[in-house]
Amino acid sequence: MQYDTIVIGGGHNGLAAATLLAKAGQSVLVLEKGAQPGGAVGVTRFKDGGSVPRYAHSTIALGRQEISDLGLSRHGLTGREAPLSTLLLSDDGRHVYLDGPSVAYADGAAHPDAAGFTALRDRLSRFADKLAPLVAAPPPQLEGGDWREIVGLAGLAFGIRRLGAVDSREFMRVLLSNVYDTVLDEMDDSPLAALLGVDAVLGGRQGPRAPGTVLTLLQRLRNGGNRIVPKGGMATVVDAFAEAASAAGVTIRCKTGVTAILTEDDRATGVETEEGERITCGRVLSSLDPMTTIRLTGIGQFDAEDVRRVRNIRTRGAAAKVNLSLSAMPSFTGVSDKQASGRILTAQGLGDLELTYNAVKYGEMPETPIMEIVLPGRRDAEMGATLSAIVQYVPYDLQGGWTDSAKKTLESKVLDRLEGFAPGLTASVQEAEVLTPVDIETETGAPGGHWHHGELIADQMLMLRPVPGMDRYEMPVSGMYLCGASTHPGGDVTGLPGCNAARQVLKGLKKRAAA
Amino acid sequence: MTEVSGKNGKAGRYDAIVVGAGHNGLTAGAYLAKAGLKTLIVEKNDYIGGAAVSRELHEGWTYSNCSYVCSLLRPEVARDLELGRHGLQVIPYEGGATFLNNGDHFGSYAEHNAFRREIQRHSPIDADAYDRYSRYIMRQCRFIRPLLLRTPPDPVSMRPKDLQEMMFLLKRFHDLGAREMADMLRFWTMSVGEFLDEFFESEVLKAHFAGSGIIGTGLGVYSPGTAYVLLHHYMGDVDGSIGAWGFTRGGMGGVSKALSLAFMEAGGEIVTGSGINHFLTENGQVSGVVLDNGDVYEASTVVSNMDVRRTFLEHVEEGELDGDFIKAVKRFKIRGSSGKLNIALDSLPDFPALPPNSILMQGDMHASESLDELERAYDDWKVGKWSEEPYFDMLIPSQIDPTLTHPGKHMMTVFVQYAPYELAGGESWNGPARQAFADTVINKIARHSPGFRDKIVHMEVRTPWDIENEVGLTEGNIFQGELTFDQLLFNRPVPGYAQYRSPIKGLYLCGSSAHPGGGVMAAPGANAAREVLSDMGRAAVGNGVMGRAA
Amino acid sequence: MSVIKKPAMKGVQRGLSPTPFHDFLAPMNLEQSWMDWAGFLSPRHFESIESEYFAIRNQATVFDVSPMRKYRIAGPDALTVMNRLVTRNVAKMRDNRVAYSIWCDEDGNVIDDGTVFRFTATDFRLCCQEPQFSWLNDVAWGFDVEIVDESLDVAGLSLQGPTSYAVLKAAGFNGVETMKPFDIRHFDDGVTVSRTGFTGDLGYELWVPNDKAAALWQHLFAAGRIHGLKPVGYEAVEMTRIEAGLLLPGKDFQSSHHALRSTRGRTPFELGFGWMVDFGKGHFNGRRALLKAKETGPRYMVVGLDIDGNKPAYDALVYHRGKVEAGHVTSALWSPTCKRNLAFAMLKAPYGIGVTDDLFVEIYRDKEGKWEKGLARARIVNRRFFDYPRRAATPPALY
Repeated sequence: MQYDTIVIGGGHNGLAAATLLAKAGQSVLVLEKGAQPGGAVGVTRFKDGGSVPRYAHSTIALGRQEISDLGLSRHGLTGREAPLSTLLLSDDGRHVYLDGPSVAYADGAAHPDAAGFTALRDRLSRFADKLAPLVAAPPPQLEGGDWREIVGLAGLAFGIRRLGAVDSREFMRVLLSNVYDTVLDEMDDSPLAALLGVDAVLGGRQGPRAPGTVLTLLQRLRNGGNRIVPKGGMATVVDAFAEAASAAGVTIRCKTGVTAILTEDDRATGVETEEGERITCGRVLSSLDPMTTIRLTGIGQFDAEDVRRVRNIRTRGAAAKVNLSLSAMPSFTGVSDKQASGRILTAQGLGDLELTYNAVKYGEMPETPIMEIVLPGRRDAEMGATLSAIVQYVPYDLQGGWTDSAKKTLESKVLDRLEGFAPGLTASVQEAEVLTPVDIETETGAPGGHWHHGELIADQMLMLRPVPGMDRYEMPVSGMYLCGASTHPGGDVTGLPGCNAARQVLKGLKKRAAA
Repeated sequence: MTEVSGKNGKAGRYDAIVVGAGHNGLTAGAYLAKAGLKTLIVEKNDYIGGAAVSRELHEGWTYSNCSYVCSLLRPEVARDLELGRHGLQVIPYEGGATFLNNGDHFGSYAEHNAFRREIQRHSPIDADAYDRYSRYIMRQCRFIRPLLLRTPPDPVSMRPKDLQEMMFLLKRFHDLGAREMADMLRFWTMSVGEFLDEFFESEVLKAHFAGSGIIGTGLGVYSPGTAYVLLHHYMGDVDGSIGAWGFTRGGMGGVSKALSLAFMEAGGEIVTGSGINHFLTENGQVSGVVLDNGDVYEASTVVSNMDVRRTFLEHVEEGELDGDFIKAVKRFKIRGSSGKLNIALDSLPDFPALPPNSILMQGDMHASESLDELERAYDDWKVGKWSEEPYFDMLIPSQIDPTLTHPGKHMMTVFVQYAPYELAGGESWNGPARQAFADTVINKIARHSPGFRDKIVHMEVRTPWDIENEVGLTEGNIFQGELTFDQLLFNRPVPGYAQYRSPIKGLYLCGSSAHPGGGVMAAPGANAAREVLSDMGRAAVGNGVMGRAA
Repeated sequence: MSVIKKPAMKGVQRGLSPTPFHDFLAPMNLEQSWMDWAGFLSPRHFESIESEYFAIRNQATVFDVSPMRKYRIAGPDALTVMNRLVTRNVAKMRDNRVAYSIWCDEDGNVIDDGTVFRFTATDFRLCCQEPQFSWLNDVAWGFDVEIVDESLDVAGLSLQGPTSYAVLKAAGFNGVETMKPFDIRHFDDGVTVSRTGFTGDLGYELWVPNDKAAALWQHLFAAGRIHGLKPVGYEAVEMTRIEAGLLLPGKDFQSSHHALRSTRGRTPFELGFGWMVDFGKGHFNGRRALLKAKETGPRYMVVGLDIDGNKPAYDALVYHRGKVEAGHVTSALWSPTCKRNLAFAMLKAPYGIGVTDDLFVEIYRDKEGKWEKGLARARIVNRRFFDYPRRAATPPALY
């Protein structure tokens, strides 16, 4: 059978791209290597029945546009999910709790920096909203953009100008600034100050002092910057994307790895699967990273300069995942069950965050890792007493390699840190799963185990993502596109790279039809 | 040193007063005086030059005790002010080397074939890659050099001049074509370490080049934005040779001396020995300055060579400025990150790693052999410690400048990165820390130069704290403010006030905290003077400064 | 405190390096006229440029080409990598053949030219002027080949002139008579001979490991004496290069890897090298850009000029109808053999493409301290100015 489009990889981005193309009337086949679609959104089931999101344990609130375009609301993603609350654990016991607009100590006392923090977050959110149209569309073209794009950019500039002279100047100042200074200009260092820093660097390999981290933060503060876990847990996210795709008429084939992208006369014509089956199609969208995509097609199909640029993409991940099965729900000292039901951060400040970052630069583990913790069972009792922690900064390229003992070391560093906040937790561990960046790479195909498939920092963003020349999702081989996290606007479970890629495909078809 | 009048109890009226006789203050003053303004420069120290000075702190040895080499000085300014006729001579230096812990070295020869062989010795593939690297850098230089003497536009303004300048910049950028535009955007936002990683495999080569990406900044080699800092050190020239650096004959005071001669020849006056106490203002308009010694000088135009924080936070009544402006000034980052040793040597030190009588000794010498070593040096600074393995930029100008000391004796200048302004635990620099800092550096030098310690006749240790106190550079930051993108172009020093003017009418900034930033460049001074003259409705001076007033 | 011990190494050698033939060249270079060729001491001329020029055109000469860059590309993917690099199809070459070729960047602009030696499908040598090691490694990334820079290991002698064949025969290179142009033959003592050169005349290039270089020289000169064999320098070779219509990167066009300004690159079509671009062989570097360039047509054209008068038009500007600037001369000479005033010029479209008449070059003459400017008429002609049948005759004539 011949398809209009084959999408390689059944992660949320591949599914999103497939859905939009199918909705436009194309016959679309999604090929997924794993047993089920989902990519970086999987589930770990423990022996005792508990379960935990294997990789991502929350998602940034999806945009209304994507929800309606993909038809996700019919499949459990409504866009009206309540945002997660945030608990900031403090070594001195003065934890901070943020729920909606409220910012206070966990014990209810007023936080001295609450007003300053709120004002900063609001200002940055306003800036983020101005950037939002850039994020939810293919990046602007440096040269030869059509009039619609130029009008769009002018509109963006006008929108920024409408912030007023003071705010628009401030916008241009902070755009490429670092989150460390931007926050500490407004308040003293504390777990609260660290919050925006964590939001900027989570999943990446940058410290908060790195210029450009504000831009990364702004991209994430879109739509209010809320993190959500949909009803039914993270599995719902995958299911929603997959169901929406099926509903749109997409064929999803799992357990079908692709070994080659076939080309004829510089044009993608199909794929070859692990079983040796050749499936022909009009175009191929790859949600894999550019290097893997290039290798599948044959390096010889690409100019050496393109290959060099792709080689130079920085993809070393710095986030590990530790999943724990516990005999009982952990109890954090001085924290109510409700307060522990959202995301829980352990960074003590931006300074702490920056110093923790030091080790990863040299391929070392940090003394005390920084974590974003979620207790899935607090929101969904079925998941049982489990703990999900994103652990940072953990090097992909650990000196000496990721041996079992190195993984054990990481596990004990994590448990030591947790024990300090939740005494007795270590003793309650039934089963522990440590997923290093190397494991994540092996399991999900994300290069370097990087959840953005490439560092999300100014010189790898927008039209520079994944590399100049491939920024419009189109590969040099005609009929070949990228649609994964390596493309603009990057990782996080947003479906945006997939949507943008599909829109770009459709735009190209329209142009060709017109010509 | 230039003789200038400096008696107390004086008063007078001038067309324009420049506060601070640093090289930018002297430049601004010279342009104003040449335009026919009765101009006065006031200087807190007994000598002029700010950080571009030559001082005899030990008998028989002249030190360039702060800035020590020259490249960025705008050739247009040198021409306009006839600095050659006023005695300025910049001698390009050869070579330079990085010493390795295995006893080898990496030599940066000026001669093409020798340099190629040297790179090849460390990595054959890097020898070719170097050609690609230098073209890449040179393309960036070609773009930025003409912008240095232009006033940045206010991107928010709708004034025709700002819109025109904005269009000029955008067009210039767009004319590069898609590929170069992307290259430039990447270059401006990348870290120097990652930038070099894309070209080279040899660690020492990367370390040798990376130094220019961190000198004077509170950033590490892996901090985004440091590739631009590298460019900042490449975009100068000596006699048209872009990227070259040179010694000023007689030390860096030679620059200040030539500038002051140009200034005084045009009728300018300099008063030294007393700093400014405060600016006089009337109804939001500057009316003069009051010095610490009580002298009062009046002028409706005052140009401050001090950095933005000093100018507005220490010498202007707080009530004169609105809160938002003060806040913006306060958050302007001026971070002390470097120190300096000036060393009088009894004889030329021996560097066994180098070939005998090597020309490499006449250039900049370093002993940081990897990017990781440099990054760790930065990690120390972040927690308020000087680097355990510091990066240094070490030169012996007396090898080619006979005016600095007696024949056979030598003067060595060692710029050291990193040294924090505030030491961890609140320790004072004015105690044992200063010597301990110096020992760290000397030990590292001595590792590569046996017997070095015995050759030291005299040593002057300049910590960030010393530089601040002596020169008036806040935190001892050599650029009067970090060179990060949030503090460059129209963001420098404060968004909305990047055109050398301030909220106080008639009060201008001409120091390095204004565009295009630090280094002995004289661009901020020349640009500020142009804006002053434009506001007065006077014609600009000289043909060299091509930029237009905003 | 540790003091680092004196190292064994003492940095790099300064100054120009002698080539493996230097001990022979030096005593013969009576004028002591040397130049820097890629860091090597290369003779500019030995006794007189004229005698050397006429020796190339009448007898046999050797020019030391050891400073050329030589790279060995070997391994299972060698053919793939070579085809990825150059615009020609090396799969069509037979083993032991040489092909002149060019290679392009992603914009289709020429990086450099050189000769591809195909020994076997898994073993190639690339011989060129500019260093390409880093570029070759970029092109070969991801392929199973080994790239070795042989530049400092292999010496080369260019044996050119009508009696060059006679010299080889006399020197006992048996079988050389059946060598056609661009053939390669391997002989004893590691000597490889290719029937190549850049004089446009009968000639060979001899390649030999450095340690065998001296023996080769002695052997050749012993046999060649009666055939008028003599060494020549760059100046004479440069004259014959222009007569032969061969372009020199850096002079007649700018390698795109050496251009600061992105507009300085030139496509093969603009250099008259369109015949070397094989679109049918699958992807190669710059192919997509070249397809586009072919469609949009050349922006420039390098042409051969035959100019009135006898004063060479060095660095001259070219005008259309004496008024509109059309381009500039890149190489020029008075050809003693063709008896013509010749030049290559880089013309900007439409000149040299649609508009080929009414061209003039501006020539300055120093008349004893008084400079005069004159416009000399120039006609576009085939740039292979010198083309004698003896170049390709097989077996060559024994003069």
